[in-house]
Amino acid sequence: MERRSFFKILGASTAGAVATGCGSNTDALIPLLVPEHNIPIGEERWYPAVCTECSAGCGTLVRVMGAERVIEVKGEQVRQRVAAVKKIEGNPLDPISGGRLCARGQAVVQALYHPDRLRGAVKRNGDRGKASFAAVPWAEAVAGVADKIRTADPSRIVFLTGPNAGSRSAAVQGFLKAIKAPAASVCSLTDFAVERKAAEVALGWSGLPVYDVANATHVLGIGADFLGGWESPVYYARQFGHFRQGRVGMRGTLFQAESRFSTTATSADRWLPLTPGSEPQFIAAVARILIDAKLAPIVAGLPAAVATAFRTADVAANLKACGQDEKRTRSIILEFGASHAPLVIGGASAVHTNSVDAVIASHYLNLMLGNVGKPGGVLAPAANAVSVESSALAGRLANAQVILIDGTNPAYLLPKSSGVLDALNKAEMVVSFAPVVDDSAAYADFILPDHHALESTVAVSALVSDRTAMAVAEPFVEPLYETQAVEKTLADISGKLGDSYTAPTAADLVKPLLKGDATYAEVTREGGIWLVPDAKPVAAKPGKDAALSVAKFEGDAGQFPLYFQPYLSVQFHDGSSSHLPWLQELPDPVSSAIWGLPVEIDNATAAKLGISEGDLVRIESAHGAIEAAAFIHPAAIPGVVSMGIGGGHTHFSRYGSGYGVNALSILGPSAEASTGAMATGATRVKLTRVSDDGKLIQFSATKSENRGAHR
Amino acid sequence: MAHRWGMAIDLDRCTGCEACVVACHAENNIPISTPEQAATGRTTHWLRVDRYYEGDFPDVKVKYMPVLCQQCDEAPCEPVCPTYATYHNPEGLNVQVYNRCVGTFYCANNCPYTVRYFNWFDPVWPEPMQLQHNPDVAVRMAGVMEKCTFCIQRIKRGKDESAASGQELADGDIQPACVQGCPAEAMVFGDLNDPESKVSRMAESSRATRLLEELGTKPKVFYLERGR
Repeated sequence: MERRSFFKILGASTAGAVATGCGSNTDALIPLLVPEHNIPIGEERWYPAVCTECSAGCGTLVRVMGAERVIEVKGEQVRQRVAAVKKIEGNPLDPISGGRLCARGQAVVQALYHPDRLRGAVKRNGDRGKASFAAVPWAEAVAGVADKIRTADPSRIVFLTGPNAGSRSAAVQGFLKAIKAPAASVCSLTDFAVERKAAEVALGWSGLPVYDVANATHVLGIGADFLGGWESPVYYARQFGHFRQGRVGMRGTLFQAESRFSTTATSADRWLPLTPGSEPQFIAAVARILIDAKLAPIVAGLPAAVATAFRTADVAANLKACGQDEKRTRSIILEFGASHAPLVIGGASAVHTNSVDAVIASHYLNLMLGNVGKPGGVLAPAANAVSVESSALAGRLANAQVILIDGTNPAYLLPKSSGVLDALNKAEMVVSFAPVVDDSAAYADFILPDHHALESTVAVSALVSDRTAMAVAEPFVEPLYETQAVEKTLADISGKLGDSYTAPTAADLVKPLLKGDATYAEVTREGGIWLVPDAKPVAAKPGKDAALSVAKFEGDAGQFPLYFQPYLSVQFHDGSSSHLPWLQELPDPVSSAIWGLPVEIDNATAAKLGISEGDLVRIESAHGAIEAAAFIHPAAIPGVVSMGIGGGHTHFSRYGSGYGVNALSILGPSAEASTGAMATGATRVKLTRVSDDGKLIQFSATKSENRGAHR
Repeated sequence: MAHRWGMAIDLDRCTGCEACVVACHAENNIPISTPEQAATGRTTHWLRVDRYYEGDFPDVKVKYMPVLCQQCDEAPCEPVCPTYATYHNPEGLNVQVYNRCVGTFYCANNCPYTVRYFNWFDPVWPEPMQLQHNPDVAVRMAGVMEKCTFCIQRIKRGKDESAASGQELADGDIQPACVQGCPAEAMVFGDLNDPESKVSRMAESSRATRLLEELGTKPKVFYLERGR
């Protein structure tokens, strides 16, 4: 749907508790035949909504039509007419999605209509971890949870949430305050704690910097897979399209330096395959090359320690440590530096122990190039940018008496070495709000299933935006089952405890942003509120931190000779989309694998170990082992083994359980020290061939375009 | 003048994100395969993103290429169908009439782009997944061949709305689901009979090529080369 037709719809739609859509000719023709809340057969309505699949906060538009479902009434199967979601697209008014949407965002409708959604509250009736549950009335479940919280030590109540910021996190914080428990802990691979910390230190900004890719002429990505599973994939893919071919006579050039041949690297003009964890050394070399060639005009503006570190960097030694050919790298960096609008995008798609140093140094490169706060450069986040508290979870979990889990899956995301499973076994009570039983909910004493986001009121702030941007939606389809919004469940629990609290609702979050006589109803009709960027952008306040430390790895290099890098996959992200069949059969962009992801091995390592494509391979770290099918990757860095995250759920519905293996499970407990972010790229492994039967299913095995190679 | 629908795909914009693939599944009620069916090559994707590795490490590049029915003007699939299930419509589309198809497979054998998919099984959508079905698109049964239609239901809806409102169809008013979803705006759809349409201009680009053009199939999908 494009802008033009969307405005046509806006003309007729209104918002309410259950929003009503646009009117139609058919309504006028057969008003008496169709109940008011139903949609005439063949008619479509479009409602704005919010995508909550990742933390980017895309505004969406949802196509709703009449449909029938079969339900049981007094033991008999009867057909019921309902308004059903048919398709999800981007909201053209939203500056983040701009009317477009990624694969996961479009597949969300399968989560709404997932056959394994919980029909109501359940209580555990078997061992923890076995996912054995029986239905229980909501009142009994709420009372059970409240009774435990009443007697628990509030300091030992741990509430784990996902990275999404907005009305949900406001309600959770209100609840925790009321029961005098510590603030919620974000348990996520996608809270981008490293990038936040680096922006705070290097630029004095709170929130994630916005990279104006669309107006840059040359982009040098360093460790940031901004077209893949990084911060805001739809936003950056839209910018990338414009950067490449959206300007007359100008094609943007992309160089990507990364320790994996990521989605961004596949789209790059030149790829610089970095040794894992060598980003700070690479950046120092880049800085020195630019300074020597007088291509970095603003060295004087840098903190003295940084300027000295950059001026004295040993280019040859640094590039050797990064695994780079000096001549090739110099030519790339000189072309980059001499361009009209060069932009560095630093990130930690694979988190190493020194990732904050790397991203800070990348900001200093941009300061040196003079592009901070300018078109085609790095822009400050909106004034009300979301800040997410991060903390080291392991310690809190180990001591937890009551664990509440909403919007995250710690049993899947945290490696075995974190002790998460012990904590879930040991806690006196585990409460989950998951709509579908997942790896963590399998340990729960009570599951109080949340509505699907499309059945709820949602307000989510955009993760990456230089303007205040919040996507907001009211529900437009009735809840399918006896589920309950977490906001209400928490209020019920605290009501049982005799506590009361007020948490800001979506409307409360929107109210301070309204200008003039604008109303919340208007905001929900458009699907969000997006203000013009501040006239006076936030100035950068360079810090003084300039450590360029060397990365540390878990495991002895002799015994575990290979680097291991799990990554956020295009289809499953952090594994939270693995229960959707459209995504399970979406061919992996790297290997074309479906129903399970392989381990990616370079040609030389595979040859040395006698591994062929499709073989079953054992991947062993000092903290555990998994077995997966091998994919021989023509662009894998020798000695670096990668694997997409998303397989190997112990419990995640009929479509998500048991396919592939969980790459995160064998990681060591390493973390980036200043943020506590899990160091996903800091574990060494060894490989052993197990058999020739890895059960690799590929949609297409072809790697080359040569004629005759096709299926 | 009759429309002549075509598509242009700018490979320099395509990032291989496969948003188009899911968009197509959601729009067209594509059957879901089980892992067992997938292992025997029975997965259906009307639109797939081919991925080719080129060059040697470290100068490896990847070419992503969304491949769908090329809606050929000289379509090899059409003359071989004994039941006229596949035919050329007046707007240049290769149309598949499901209830004429008896599953001879001749069309799929003859398609050089391997974009036709056979329903080996009746599709299964456990309750309540069928609620998502697009009522504008028929659900196909076992024994029937299927393929990309350029979202003919959207073309029809666009023309109906234009007729009802009296407003002429503008370039971009009709977008197949894949084109609508593409975040990088790599895919463009429109009328090749309108020389001013975006797709016509892209088809004229010096970067434009067509798949296996030498076979004389006259595809109506144009690919714009990467890298310049």
